[in-house]
Amino acid sequence: MARKKERKQAENAKLEMTPMIDVVFQLLIFFIVTLKQEDILSHLDVTRPAPDPNAKPEEQVKDLLQIEVYARGFTLRGRRVGIAELDRQLTRLGGISKNISVIIKCTGDSPHANLVQLLDVCAKAGLQNLSVFSM
Amino acid sequence: MSNEGCELDMTPMIDVVFQLMIFFIVTIKMEADINPDIVLEKGPYGPIIKGEDPRMLVVEVDRRGSISIHNAHMNTQVFKQIMRARVNRVGHNFPVLIRGDQRAKHADIRKVMDICSGVGIWKIQFAAVKQYASEM
Repeated sequence: MARKKERKQAENAKLEMTPMIDVVFQLLIFFIVTLKQEDILSHLDVTRPAPDPNAKPEEQVKDLLQIEVYARGFTLRGRRVGIAELDRQLTRLGGISKNISVIIKCTGDSPHANLVQLLDVCAKAGLQNLSVFSM
Repeated sequence: MSNEGCELDMTPMIDVVFQLMIFFIVTIKMEADINPDIVLEKGPYGPIIKGEDPRMLVVEVDRRGSISIHNAHMNTQVFKQIMRARVNRVGHNFPVLIRGDQRAKHADIRKVMDICSGVGIWKIQFAAVKQYASEM
């Protein structure tokens, strides 16, 4: 008698699979749909000197390269250049020394994209001593 | 009798379900606090942002020049106060990352940089896209 009762209880305790499988597939579909791959971001490091015009924080540096960023392009040592030409020049200079100080001067109306392009070219050349000024 | 024969063992299935759930919960990133309208310029040669430094402050500048932190827009006065308070609290050494839209004018980026250098932060990072998710 007791054995019969035991068996009956065991049969009653059997779990229904169907709702569980439903929930699992719901969860799977939810996570797969919401999973969005993110862009890989990079960072380009610069130094921003003090805005105070009287402050002269850095000592006289030997190697100095000045690049201006305008709304429609760049100038290198006062000469108008494109990004491809800048890439060549900076890669050549980066091959000589990575410690060249690069002074970047941006005009207020130049788009931020130009500055980032220039910083990326500097990163490619391995130049790390970059200072950004505003004109 | 035949019904009992095809009864499934639940344990491995529950294991798999929990594994999947844990995997997805751990890998899912809740990045609701960045402005999705900001289009970053491509910068494939910069080092990857790992996001390991919890002190990093991300400042966003959208195409109209509006400054925001964690999607909260603010004017330059408020931004300056926030930076002062933060410098007083944690010092000058926390990294500042500017997520500037590629169409933003330098004049607007300059405001952020000037405030940062005004409170003694000289090192500034600009965010760029190393690789788009669609290219992976």
